[in-house]
Amino acid sequence: MKAIRLQIPAHADFIDMVRICLYGIASKMKFSYEDIEDMKVAVSEACNNAVLHGGLDTGDEVIDVCYETDDDSLKIRIKNNGSGFVYPNALDMSAPLAVEQVSDLRVGGLGIYLIQALMDEVAIYTTGNVTEVVMTKYLTAVTEEG
Amino acid sequence: MKSDPFQVMQEDSPNAYILHLSGELDLSIVPQLRSALEQVMNRSDKALVLNLRGLTYIDSTGIGIIVSVLKYRDEMKAPFFVREIPPAIQRLFDLTGISRYLKEGIEDEA
Repeated sequence: MKAIRLQIPAHADFIDMVRICLYGIASKMKFSYEDIEDMKVAVSEACNNAVLHGGLDTGDEVIDVCYETDDDSLKIRIKNNGSGFVYPNALDMSAPLAVEQVSDLRVGGLGIYLIQALMDEVAIYTTGNVTEVVMTKYLTAVTEEG
Repeated sequence: MKSDPFQVMQEDSPNAYILHLSGELDLSIVPQLRSALEQVMNRSDKALVLNLRGLTYIDSTGIGIIVSVLKYRDEMKAPFFVREIPPAIQRLFDLTGISRYLKEGIEDEA
């Protein structure tokens, strides 16, 4: 396992850097275009949560990102300080939109659902004020047929 | 990967206010998109159209804004259409379930 680390200020303006770095690493590992698009959304969602729910608004919070590459997988860890986000419930409650009436639609809460839908494995650890989202995507074997 | 800056271009056709969105729609551009929408969201004289042809990225923050417009226009009983959704973005709309509430609309309506 090899690890590549990135630290960004916990601010929306820097989330694109996490995607750009992911793109570079995942391309080099020869992930498919679709898998890379999926991972781009998943890492952004985890960062969105860190920006929106983490931090104490002192302006100097950071998000630590660690990309762990293996022969057949890419594991991304996204860690922030901040107590506002209660993940265990969020994981259970996440679901797609499925109501009959447009007026009953909810506006938020899709981020966690998307992370789960787009990645192969997702785990969330909370210790004190630190929340870490760990997500893994496996390289699917390229078939030699055809 | 080139990071495409987000842009909103407004076009007023006889029957619709059309917002052309391009680039990456993420959390950082939410204020920009909201202010562009505020100009036209409450206008019931014409349809409101979002054209997504140039959009290269969206996540739950962008989808959340579209849901809020959908609810707002539904309450006003004013037409709202989303057009030219790129395949990668359509996939996320399908996954989140928003697709079933979106309409493309036809030229007569918009």
